[in-house]
Amino acid sequence: MAKLVFGILMTVVWWMLHALQIDEELAMNTLHEAKRAVDRSAHAAAQQLDRERLETGRITLDPDLAEDAVYAYLRANLRLDADLSPLPGSLLKERVVIERLEVIGDDVTFPYTYRNESYNYEVTLMRPGVVLIAHVRFPRLFGVLAPIAWDLKGAAETVYA
Amino acid sequence: MKQILVFVLFAATFCWLMFSPVYKHVLLIRQALLQQEADYLLEIGASGRFGYIDNGLLTQSRERLAGYGFQPERLEYAVSSTSGEPADDSASPLERGTGLRLTIRYPYDNLLDIDRLIGIASAPAEARLTANGMKMSEYVPW
Repeated sequence: MAKLVFGILMTVVWWMLHALQIDEELAMNTLHEAKRAVDRSAHAAAQQLDRERLETGRITLDPDLAEDAVYAYLRANLRLDADLSPLPGSLLKERVVIERLEVIGDDVTFPYTYRNESYNYEVTLMRPGVVLIAHVRFPRLFGVLAPIAWDLKGAAETVYA
Repeated sequence: MKQILVFVLFAATFCWLMFSPVYKHVLLIRQALLQQEADYLLEIGASGRFGYIDNGLLTQSRERLAGYGFQPERLEYAVSSTSGEPADDSASPLERGTGLRLTIRYPYDNLLDIDRLIGIASAPAEARLTANGMKMSEYVPW
């Protein structure tokens, strides 16, 4: 009888270890996928040149187009709806929140260092670009891990020859 | 006698407990490798020098994944663009502003069959491991 109880207890412990391992590996996958989505969104936003100013020889970004691009690429890469809430098939279960979206045009002098003390983020841009910080929560499959949430930071510069 | 009975009763559970982590791990690693490959192809394909993902790039990608043990002929690639233009034509790359979409699929390969030991139905035959992404093309015509 004692052996049986021991066996069942060990089974429970073993199962919790499985759950922990699967959740941790999934968390790493989710983190990387969300970070890539943030990077791609910042990259797309940084390509939104302001055409009217480009005619006068100024290379700068259009903040409205940049914001649209951020939303479009976050939605496409993480499968979110217009509100940034997850659609069926998404890795996430909770809404993605855009904490900061800074469009840095040509009104500053380059190299320009963007600093954000509250998110502990610093990046130096050589050209006009975009800084994006998004808050993502990891949906745990099992309750073994403590809740995880990330402030994912991405930055991109506009690309030209 | 009693111990043998207990062992027989729990044999399926024991087998599952011992071997399923290995299967799950293979599954997660395959998923991660597919995602890494999708990421790499998008990085190259959306860069200013390309603006497309053509068959040459896909052949190289199959070779890379074959090096990790994937069967190249079972990999399915889908390349498309947000504008509806073909995204796999090296003669007409996607211009800056157009998004390049890529999806790579691979069968589960019976890796979930072991879950039947504890009564969870395995994935249907048409289910696929999927990695995808969308990145904006940087290509600007001269």
